[in-house]
Amino acid sequence: MVGDTSAKAIRVVGLSKRYGGVAAVDDLSFEVRAGAVTGFLGPNGAGKTTTLRILLGLARPTAGDATIFGQPFAALADPARTVGASLEISGLHPGRSGRNHLRSLAVLAGLPASRVDEVLKLVEMTGAANRRAGKYSMGMRQRLALAATLLGDPKLLVLDEPGNGLDPQGIRWLRDFLRAIAAEGRTVLISSHVLSEVAQTVDDVIVIHHGRLVDEGPVDRLSGPQRVSVRSPRLADLAAAIERAGAQVSRGEEGVLIVSGLSAAQVGDLAFSAGLPLHELAPHAASLEEVFLQMTSDEPVGEHSPDALPPGAA
Amino acid sequence: MSRVLRSELLKLRTTRTALGFAVAGVLLVLLFVLVGVLAGNPRTIADKRAILSIGDPLAVVLLLFGVVGATAEYRHRTVAAGALVVPSRLRLSIGRMVAYGLAGVAVGALMLVVAFAIGIPLLAGKSGPALVGSDYVRAIGGSLLACGLAAMLGVAVGVLIANQVAAVVGTLVFLFVADPLIVAASADVGKFLFGSALMAVGGRGNGGHRLAFGPAVAVIIAWTVLALAVAGWVDKRRDIA
Repeated sequence: MVGDTSAKAIRVVGLSKRYGGVAAVDDLSFEVRAGAVTGFLGPNGAGKTTTLRILLGLARPTAGDATIFGQPFAALADPARTVGASLEISGLHPGRSGRNHLRSLAVLAGLPASRVDEVLKLVEMTGAANRRAGKYSMGMRQRLALAATLLGDPKLLVLDEPGNGLDPQGIRWLRDFLRAIAAEGRTVLISSHVLSEVAQTVDDVIVIHHGRLVDEGPVDRLSGPQRVSVRSPRLADLAAAIERAGAQVSRGEEGVLIVSGLSAAQVGDLAFSAGLPLHELAPHAASLEEVFLQMTSDEPVGEHSPDALPPGAA
Repeated sequence: MSRVLRSELLKLRTTRTALGFAVAGVLLVLLFVLVGVLAGNPRTIADKRAILSIGDPLAVVLLLFGVVGATAEYRHRTVAAGALVVPSRLRLSIGRMVAYGLAGVAVGALMLVVAFAIGIPLLAGKSGPALVGSDYVRAIGGSLLACGLAAMLGVAVGVLIANQVAAVVGTLVFLFVADPLIVAASADVGKFLFGSALMAVGGRGNGGHRLAFGPAVAVIIAWTVLALAVAGWVDKRRDIA
């Protein structure tokens, strides 16, 4: 299954979860390609953790289905060797050492004790493994949770906010770690509310907000349409010329226009033919973070447009 | 099941919870035996056998041991880690019950050693008939059985209630308030409650309004199975973090 990009590792169809009158997940559907690293993005409270808990059989959906390699989690023949999962708040008994925590899970999964040492080494926790978990920092708890996900050498990893509480050094370590496990051809679903944490690692993204799907597809799609930033001492004349050419113009910072619908070369040619001087001409692509923030702002979905981007944002 | 059982036994051995309850048990046994011999002035076979039948007071400790152990899984969110490996929560709960039952028997055996080491020399100095082999067998068997069953029942109660404070307080209130009140109101009903049945199995005071040993064991097993069935039904529908 690993490496077969046409197969679906995860399929979520019409998933809903209500707590009283509140819809934590609302008719959510998406798919995760096998062999791909997929970012599951949304702001805090978007419903990411609830969705993952339902996917992993820890919570019951109000409606809909979630399957892993075509089966509900509870029906998997060997869950530990199929899915490794770490939830946002990882469970650890404060009085038990990290090594013993992993040993108990290894015994439960029928794995050899040597596997515990292997995963501890992978997450660089060997030195702290015999300390009680209650004395671990957040970063150490996250590493131990990642070690637990790798115990069964699973085909699919489901990681819920693994970067939470990590310092910059920890974030860098996590990024390298994710790159390494992705390079092994595993399917990874990683949730985060910080796009920059995962943007360099993921192939696909699923964006949810208020429990509903906002967008899904290759991460490149999130970069949005390219625009052009142009500076000229004759701004009004330039804006009129561009609008006559059928493109859209919005004001940027002082003396700058943001042009949509034309390439930088086209804007340059237009200005030359109109005899208008240019002092600056640059492609202006909205960052992934900007697009993500727009998608998950509290404006109704679909109302945002490239023109709504903050002036001068680059 | 063997994997679940071995994992639960490993978890039991790798925290200080079991040790803490064992220490509490030793102190309770010491108090029970010393007060029983020195202040109780036992003279009859029944009195002397009751001194060595530590299953009665110890069962309460082990009932709480099971409650605390099961609810700790929810309190520290380790229940999810187990369910990600073995999705059947009922299987996990049954394995936990068996593990705690075995631990209860082990703690009970340790306490019996303490009780016998102190009690037998002290009782030897008391007047009246001496205890014979069958008395010791009954004290040992009843105590071990009461300890094991109490720990298993505690796990079932813990799985059912999940909230640690509520489960511990609820168990204590039931044992020390509701159970005596019901017994006082109707002894015929009260003897079927698990608190009274644990006392009967523990070997102390089988007479009066308490069940005989065999029926008392059956009553505790019935309570445990009932609690586990209800707990399993509730747990299956419970969202866990």
